[in-house]
Amino acid sequence: MDIVGTFGPIFARPDLWAGTLRFAAPLTLAALGGVISERSGVVNIAMEGMMLVGAFFSVVVAAATHDIVLATLASVVCGGLIAAIHGVASIHLRANQIVSGMAINLLALGLTSFLMFRFFATNGTPANIPALPDVKIPVVDGIPFVGDVVGDQNIVVWLSILAVPIVWWFLFRTRLGLRIRAVGEHPRAADTLGISVFGIRYLCVILSGLLSGLGGAYLALSVAHSFSNNMTSGAGFIALAAMIFGKWNPIGAFLACLLFGFGQSLGINLQGTGFPDQLVSATPYLLTVVALAGFVGRAVPPAADGVPYEVGE
Amino acid sequence: MSVATAQIQVPPSRVMRYLASGVTPVLAVVLAIIVGGLVVLASGSNPVVAYQQMLVGAVGTPFDISETLISSIPLILAGYAVSFAFRCGLFNIGAEGQLYMGAIASTWVATTFSSWPGLALILICMVAAMVAGGAWAGIAGLLKARTGAHEVITTMMLSYVAIDVSHWLLEAGPMTPSNAFGTPESGPIPPQAAFPIILPSSILPNARLNASLFVTILAGVAFAWILWRTPLGYEIRAVGFNAKAAAYGGINVARRLIIAMVLAGAFAGLAGMVPVWVSGRLYDSFSPGYGYEAIAVALVGKNSAIGIFLAGLLYGAMIHGSVAMQANANISGFLVQILQALVLFFVGAEMLVRWILKKGGLRRVLEVAG
Repeated sequence: MDIVGTFGPIFARPDLWAGTLRFAAPLTLAALGGVISERSGVVNIAMEGMMLVGAFFSVVVAAATHDIVLATLASVVCGGLIAAIHGVASIHLRANQIVSGMAINLLALGLTSFLMFRFFATNGTPANIPALPDVKIPVVDGIPFVGDVVGDQNIVVWLSILAVPIVWWFLFRTRLGLRIRAVGEHPRAADTLGISVFGIRYLCVILSGLLSGLGGAYLALSVAHSFSNNMTSGAGFIALAAMIFGKWNPIGAFLACLLFGFGQSLGINLQGTGFPDQLVSATPYLLTVVALAGFVGRAVPPAADGVPYEVGE
Repeated sequence: MSVATAQIQVPPSRVMRYLASGVTPVLAVVLAIIVGGLVVLASGSNPVVAYQQMLVGAVGTPFDISETLISSIPLILAGYAVSFAFRCGLFNIGAEGQLYMGAIASTWVATTFSSWPGLALILICMVAAMVAGGAWAGIAGLLKARTGAHEVITTMMLSYVAIDVSHWLLEAGPMTPSNAFGTPESGPIPPQAAFPIILPSSILPNARLNASLFVTILAGVAFAWILWRTPLGYEIRAVGFNAKAAAYGGINVARRLIIAMVLAGAFAGLAGMVPVWVSGRLYDSFSPGYGYEAIAVALVGKNSAIGIFLAGLLYGAMIHGSVAMQANANISGFLVQILQALVLFFVGAEMLVRWILKKGGLRRVLEVAG
């Protein structure tokens, strides 16, 4: 097979790179949420479920009101609500957070599929729902190649990219961020200093739900323009991997999301070239394993990650 | 008075302790049924009718019982795969991929050596499934032991790779049969290699329950025997309990991690073979997520051989029962996934269940369970 002949023209396609950003956006939002939650000491493998809930309710509200702002709000609120359930289980009930997270994922899948049948039977969601707007950047739009890549991206793509430095700044340069990290590393010490461990953890878990919910809305209202059962199909788990791959750092997680986004985009762009796209779509996953084993090294989570905090002794 | 009763208490027998340890999962199931019923009620249907239809659908006739068992077997085997790794402190979230590898390898062996006699063929197919599943999981174990790569990521990533590889094999690769009508599927499993049907059609017509049930029971025995009756199992559990202490005690932790993953993967490989043998071919996306549901089964079963078997039966019954429920009561079969999630949630939120037991005056049960 002529590797250069196959891949060369594809790498020159703006579609490949625009697609990378598009696929990375929902992953980035969910992964950033995961970073915030785990930095506060609550293990969060439930981004998949939170995205799914966000996607579903954004479509329900979009179909009912035809208002894109309300629909987006609904996704964020519902993502936050289901995250709050994970919060109660992990923080107050001191449940095993992996068990609770897995339960949230299954619950989200079951509930959205169940309600899908109830609301839309087997007809699918209506076609005339509003979409999240694309942002046309006047001058950049006209530049060849660059314009095609970033000139006309969805608003959520830009939000996800903007969110990366914001979350980094929030976690590492603000008082609240310092408190979050303190609670995640040594909750007892933080508690002694008068920081509310429970309060901080609830805040962070719910923040992760808000971000994942928005990621879900993007998948439903920009990529698919509909909801179908299990439509996130593992995006939340990829975001989880990106979070660990990025060593619980917003920037690292974003880079990992770009890698996964690139893999997905490459798989799509290779369709029809005769190159087995099934094997190409496996490449980023394989790369992750190699990278993780080879040069990323031991990923060390926050010290109190996953350890429920008990008040008093 | 409480002092007096405390004095005459005899230590609870092993059987009592075993039974008591099942109280929280059972109560979790009850709570899930109640909350699930509220969901049905809220959606405007009658929960009693829903549950009645589900129960009748799952175990109403001998045929349904056979189908329920068929649905349960891959869940139970994959549950062992998740749980065996858990016992060594590893979270095998990627049993799904190991299951695919087992399915691919056993199918390849069966279709390649299709002229072999039945017993020999089925045995090497089982070995192939276990070796392939074990090797796939073993990669994650090896990487964990050698480089510290987190098994949650590696097993999950390897899962996606395995699924993509199976798509390629069946859609564009060497396992695509030349006479396929565009449907991605392997060639047929040779009839002599099929698991024998347990109940002949003269007793129960069309029953599909086959000897893989006995394989599953044997797997459960092996699971318990290795973990609780061999030095290896003791060491695996020691690593899972406290890896540092185990290392201090002279156990080669790295090696135990690898072996635990390989054995876990072997269970998953078998779990992948069974559904292929039931349908007679390897189809694209043949697993509806057995490997993921198995995580719930392992947790609900409290990582014990019998517990996982029972939890697998429960989940299998819900899956099969939901078909009749959706058809007869017009309630989405996805209610089952809600129930499964709720069971898992309440098993996880054990504190809530314990609190209910205490309020209900059943403190003694908790003491016996320890």
